[in-house]
Amino acid sequence: MRALAGVVAGLVALAPAPASARDDVDLIPQDVLDTKPVPPPGKAAATGSAAPGAGTQAASAPSAPRHTLRSKVFAEDAFSVWSPAVAVPVPYPSSLALAWQNRTSLDGLLQWKARPWLTLTLSDRLNVFEQDRQSFFAADTVRNDLREVSATFEPTAGTYLETGRINVRNGSALGFNPTDFFKTRTLVDQSSLDPSVIRQNRLGALMVRAQTLWSWGSASVAYAPKVTEPSPVTESNPVGIDPRFDATNAAHRVLTTLTLELFDLSPQLLGYFELHRSKLGANVTRSIGDAVVGYAEWAGGPEQDLIARASAFGKQTGALPAAAPVLPPTSTDNSFRNDVATGFSWTVATAVTLNLEYHFHESGFTRGDWKNWFDLGSAPGAPPPLTGALWFVRGYANDQQEPVSQHEMFIRADWPRAFTRDLELSAFAFVSLLDASVLSQLSASYYVSDAWTASAFVSGNFGAGRTERGSFPQRGNLILQLTRYL
Amino acid sequence: MLRSLVAPFVLALTLAGVSDAARADDAPSAADIVAAADRVRNPQNPFRLSLVLVEYQSGAAHDSVTLAVHSKIDSVTHQYRNLVRYAAPERDAGKLVLLTGGSMWFYDPASKASIRISAQQRLIGQASNGDVLTVNLAHHYSSHLLGDETIQDADHQPRDTWHLELNAVTSEAAYAHLETWIEKGTMRPVKRKFYSDSGRPLKIAFYRRYESALGAARPLETIIIDAVDPHLVTKVTASDYRAEDVQDAWFQREYLPRFSEE
Repeated sequence: MRALAGVVAGLVALAPAPASARDDVDLIPQDVLDTKPVPPPGKAAATGSAAPGAGTQAASAPSAPRHTLRSKVFAEDAFSVWSPAVAVPVPYPSSLALAWQNRTSLDGLLQWKARPWLTLTLSDRLNVFEQDRQSFFAADTVRNDLREVSATFEPTAGTYLETGRINVRNGSALGFNPTDFFKTRTLVDQSSLDPSVIRQNRLGALMVRAQTLWSWGSASVAYAPKVTEPSPVTESNPVGIDPRFDATNAAHRVLTTLTLELFDLSPQLLGYFELHRSKLGANVTRSIGDAVVGYAEWAGGPEQDLIARASAFGKQTGALPAAAPVLPPTSTDNSFRNDVATGFSWTVATAVTLNLEYHFHESGFTRGDWKNWFDLGSAPGAPPPLTGALWFVRGYANDQQEPVSQHEMFIRADWPRAFTRDLELSAFAFVSLLDASVLSQLSASYYVSDAWTASAFVSGNFGAGRTERGSFPQRGNLILQLTRYL
Repeated sequence: MLRSLVAPFVLALTLAGVSDAARADDAPSAADIVAAADRVRNPQNPFRLSLVLVEYQSGAAHDSVTLAVHSKIDSVTHQYRNLVRYAAPERDAGKLVLLTGGSMWFYDPASKASIRISAQQRLIGQASNGDVLTVNLAHHYSSHLLGDETIQDADHQPRDTWHLELNAVTSEAAYAHLETWIEKGTMRPVKRKFYSDSGRPLKIAFYRRYESALGAARPLETIIIDAVDPHLVTKVTASDYRAEDVQDAWFQREYLPRFSEE
């Protein structure tokens, strides 16, 4: 193919050069040539150097380290409306079904390099909620999500010590990250259900962390202490400015990582230690040609299955009675269980990027578990505590950010400049491989200007009543969102 | 502005050919001309620069992106490694793109996620990633001297140039094939045309505003014309060239969350 290109280029080259050159140069609009060079904007407050773009006469010596304050602040309003609830086989707790909600948020990420060896980070979101069946003056109306507040020391080049609330994220897949061990109980309110968006707004954990980097890799160890007892899984908002350490620091946890730049695979090996739930993990990525990137993640270790863990957690936090049976019935054995996410991204014609992933979650529901779940919950006269306990298992899985079913597919498409330069379209779907039900979302973001972005998200649950996604009473959701960068 | 990646032995030829390049009128080899033009465009020591990319449609400015590019030659492979930080627009500020060898990573500080991306994932609008990264063409392309031509530069001034064709010899090359016109004597790139695998013209680039930066006169503006829709034009303006103490440890995904320097 490239040989053909060479022939074509050769023919082009043999054409009368001056005429061709004149044609090309005449394509440049005069306005483009006349426009004065634009200096790069200096959002960061920098000291110790000339203003960015102040001149093109470059210094010949390495520039001195600078003290910088970087910030990214935006205000956002998101209005959500849900489709009316329909009857489902297992009655859904009515308190969890909303008709509408409006969220107004001020979101900020600040990073200050106070000294060459010290960086301070603050990441926070302040929310005001108005929603169906709730007074504006309720305790749930205002909520602050303190995502990160940390200090990072660099005592020697390439060695970092940090402490505070830190968001540590690992993993190479998009829809499910088995090696993202600190993802549990970090969810806060989201506009989009897209996993890649959810990751942008989650809580860190209190920890101390040390990391060292070499030219060929890095190693790190993090310790997140238990500072309080765990809080129950809840869909309602905790009061006010609660930092929710009872969600992120309710157990002692240690994570070690070794990342290597080898064989074009960038392997990462992880060891995660938590009482009754220690795991090993690994993830790799590799480019395949210039349009495809393949990736795989694995984590495994001894643990109970999802149902047994949910039941134990519910009893520990008082959400379930201490004498409640494990529902749906399952073994409470602690055995080695695996999680896998593997797939690839494929960029088509430099325009649309497709992701296709397979997720295996060994401790998730089997077909038998689903049958039991529906049979128990839909039995005539099933009392609310019973159906509540069944839904609790699924709420727990969501809180842990783990799939409910053992096998699922994830498909995502992203088209950044769709039809026009300012429109980005994306869509994703989680497809259960046990019952073919689907959770999908379409989203459109229009970049009105550099400062304003308008977005719309439409999501839906599709499937028969006795399926994972079809069992939700509210099948559709529409979110309109306006973002203003400050 | 085009940049691409490299092959070590050609760089050796490049370095050996400095004196040949200075004798441009003595018809240096095609490889020497390309290598000399690479040196005009790319400082050999670690450096950073700022780039402002402005997209024009029918002459009217639309989107703009501001980037900081940090580059260093890998002492083993002799390829440039690049770390690119978005400075504007605000919604993208702080995002990073890392290119080292054949792998490319994208980091978003909001999600703290480093995602490996393909070379085809276009992150900077009409200009491709290859247009903003520092590369030595000599390492990715075999070159052939087609002859000498007098062409007009972007400012309609006549330039006496070498006309060369380059064909990709590595899978990491951003384009399958390109033509380049390099001014005799100064070895300054004047114009380039880029082609797809199928031989379809993709874009035309003109280099202008040569000014002193890090010890040499370098083109501070590149005008990129979309060959399919010539009404789409991107202007890439470079500024704030600075020598920088770029560490080898920067060029790995685990460093991306640590990057905080301007």
